[in-house]
Amino acid sequence: MSRQTTLASRTQQAQPAPEAEYGPPPGVLVLRLGRVGALPIRHRSLTVWLLITAAVLGASAVTLTIGDLGISLTQLPSLLTGGGEATDRFVLSRLRGPRLLVGVGVGAALGVAGALFQAVTRNPLGSPDVIGLGAGAGAGASVAALIAPGAVPVPLGALLGAGIAIGLVTLSTGTGLRHPGRIIVAGIGVSAMAQAFTHFVVAFIARDEATSLATYLNGSLTARDWGHAGIIWGALLFCLPVLLYLAGPVRLGEMGDETSQTLGAPARTTRTVAVLMSVLLSAAAVSVAGPISFVALTAPQIARRMAGAGGPSLVLSAAVGALLIVCADLVVQRVPLGEGLPVGIVTMALGGIYLGHLLIREWRKGTL
Amino acid sequence: MSAPSNAVLAARSLTLGYGADPVVHGVDLEIDPGEFTVVVGPNGCGKSTLLKALGRVNRPMSGQVMLHGRDLRTRRTKAVARELALLPQSPVVPDGVTVRSLVERGRFAHHTLLRQWSPEDEQAIAEALDLTATADLAEVPLASLSGGQRQRAWVAMVLAQDTGVLLLDEPTTYLDIAHQYDLLQLFARLHRRGRTVVAVLHDLAQAARFATRLIMMDGGRVVADGAPHEVVTSDLVGEVFGLACDVVPDPRTGTPLVIPHEEPVAG
Repeated sequence: MSRQTTLASRTQQAQPAPEAEYGPPPGVLVLRLGRVGALPIRHRSLTVWLLITAAVLGASAVTLTIGDLGISLTQLPSLLTGGGEATDRFVLSRLRGPRLLVGVGVGAALGVAGALFQAVTRNPLGSPDVIGLGAGAGAGASVAALIAPGAVPVPLGALLGAGIAIGLVTLSTGTGLRHPGRIIVAGIGVSAMAQAFTHFVVAFIARDEATSLATYLNGSLTARDWGHAGIIWGALLFCLPVLLYLAGPVRLGEMGDETSQTLGAPARTTRTVAVLMSVLLSAAAVSVAGPISFVALTAPQIARRMAGAGGPSLVLSAAVGALLIVCADLVVQRVPLGEGLPVGIVTMALGGIYLGHLLIREWRKGTL
Repeated sequence: MSAPSNAVLAARSLTLGYGADPVVHGVDLEIDPGEFTVVVGPNGCGKSTLLKALGRVNRPMSGQVMLHGRDLRTRRTKAVARELALLPQSPVVPDGVTVRSLVERGRFAHHTLLRQWSPEDEQAIAEALDLTATADLAEVPLASLSGGQRQRAWVAMVLAQDTGVLLLDEPTTYLDIAHQYDLLQLFARLHRRGRTVVAVLHDLAQAARFATRLIMMDGGRVVADGAPHEVVTSDLVGEVFGLACDVVPDPRTGTPLVIPHEEPVAG
């Protein structure tokens, strides 16, 4: 009896139906797109993504409903379709709605920018906030907005600032963007210079308007409008197709130029495109919310640990970035001690601790 | 020279180097299908540089590398990666990656933007894990493996790439002798199954035992090229490596074995 079973199973193994035998591995869902495609998604990544998205939605709901001017959730559907009370409509369309959308967009952009740059430099410290992209964009934005208002649009100023910062970093390493350690050291210098420059511009131009200038110094989401939301979501949509293409090559790039090249992903092109996308997204984020620190540094690392697969995840980094900003903004809007602070102060406080932890870890590993 | 050949890989007056100084000087070479070619030579002779150029990782200073008769430089990285795989000498281990997810990366060249999974992927991955005896380690993080296991995982990655040509850059470095032979047996098995293998090795006895063709380099030039017993001679080893030695037949395989004259200093 048992012998027969063995034989039967042997025969089955001898003549496998390829489709039947080689299905997706355990823990992986294959999203089939008819005849044109099939995308593998790990159960764990999917679960993590659903959880974070639910958390973003939850925090968004709290942001909209809490406080004196809060909108009740039951009112939301009718408000979105143009009905409801005038006050509620005003709160949603002028006060909290745009601020929330800008926050989510900025978080997603910073998360993706950070994931790309960390993958390119193969180091968690090689993120836009540490190496001066954010600070450069902030300096550019402050010049465009304060020294010659109207001459250059603020987003363009931010883009130029970020471009100059990354250019300076690339030149001062002497080896381009190939050696993470050098990028980080050069970047910290460029970042400090850019911040000093922003402080100078702010102090020089407008000493009296200190609060409204918080945006340029620390990053803030106060008084955002639909124009701001349009810029950040426009940038995200513009980058989306490129990011889809870039996800695979960026993952291979982490294994070094030679390996990436022989596996089929052109290393230099990948690096160049990833840096361009990162600059663009950082600049868009800074131009609408100022240099919000450490989201680009922490979001990809949190996403990576939650996904547990090794390798960067752009989608999860975007979701975690959005969650970090929405929560931090909730703190500055509603928590007594934090009330009225620029949102960047909260992310800086949390991220600073994490940066310290990373510096110690990398130093122990000998990568710095 | 421009006569049609059925060479899989060919180097044409290939000069290679970093910066101004060439490391390899005008090498001409043809690798025929089904050969197990091993390149040997002293440190700094340019053998790894040559291998990287054959694998399209190095850009030649002048000359060409032809894969199936077509210049490598005119072809897309991804298309080349479906025909030729290279196991680099010291690849970077990505943070937190498991053996399976490493081997999956070997399939990149077979994917398109929308099709990033197929039953053929699973088959290739399963076979690669099987051949390298790493199936049991599939879910283990690469960082926690021993040197021998880790090297087998890297080999599994390039096997999953499913290419006709396999280039190996000192694949046995850092392994103990048992693991070295394990790996060489695996390459020999792959060669018997029809893959064209080109490897850079340090150990002359191993090279002579496994190669069907041996290429000896010195100072960026090919100084000998042929069957192992033609290349590994006491004259050539003396000249190229500066090591006085006898060459005797390996008692098991009959392949040449180098016995150095140097004797340990007593006392």
